[in-house]
Amino acid sequence: MEWWGWLIVALVVIVLLVGAVLAVQARRRRGGVIIDGSGPDARPGKGGRGR
Amino acid sequence: MRLMRTSEIAKRPVVTFAGEDVAQVKDIVYAAGGGQVAGFTLAGRGLFAGPLKQALPWKAVVGLGADAVVIRDTTVLEPTKAVIESSRASGGSGADVLGSQVLTDAGVDLGVVRDVVVAVTEGAGGHCDVVGYEIEASAALGTQGEKVLIPLPDTLAASGEHLMVPASAKDFVGRDLAGFGAAVDAFRAQLGGAS
Repeated sequence: MEWWGWLIVALVVIVLLVGAVLAVQARRRRGGVIIDGSGPDARPGKGGRGR
Repeated sequence: MRLMRTSEIAKRPVVTFAGEDVAQVKDIVYAAGGGQVAGFTLAGRGLFAGPLKQALPWKAVVGLGADAVVIRDTTVLEPTKAVIESSRASGGSGADVLGSQVLTDAGVDLGVVRDVVVAVTEGAGGHCDVVGYEIEASAALGTQGEKVLIPLPDTLAASGEHLMVPASAKDFVGRDLAGFGAAVDAFRAQLGGAS
């Protein structure tokens, strides 16, 4: 293979690696809403009615 | 009292009084008992920064504005691990509610949670409470596929996979945040009267 063929392969590999790293980082940084069950009434069967 | 979706808070920068941009909000952590927001987990700023090992407790939040969350300084941050582990140890699932199914206590599927609505009370001693879910409605609500808001009781049922609400919640469904506060109050008043 010509030298420029190897260059193209190397560039493609670099782009794929950077893309993979960014995708993993985006997944790790993605937010959510987490239920913390440490509240005073957070016990099975307790939900559904007022304080 | 101000109503907002948690998706508006996520990714908001956390800034100190000194003007230092120390982190951004990742997860919103709330208590199943009372729905009070306990704090936020954090991610670093910058393209390659991941989640941080420190979390921001709600009591340390000085201001929750449209563009940033303001804190005094970085000493107010607490270990994230402690927040999550205390949740699990005390029976909480520590699970993300986004994507969870909402069921009534009559066993009817109302839809899937797409966002969470919180009520923020400003000023000293202010608090932030979960008051509703934005759900992608099921056929049971007659508006299948549409996003609607359902109010929550003061005390939430939390299993991690299914979120339970009283059957009467579907009578107080709203379409936008304007007027949803009144729907929450009416729903809770009705529950209080029924118990």
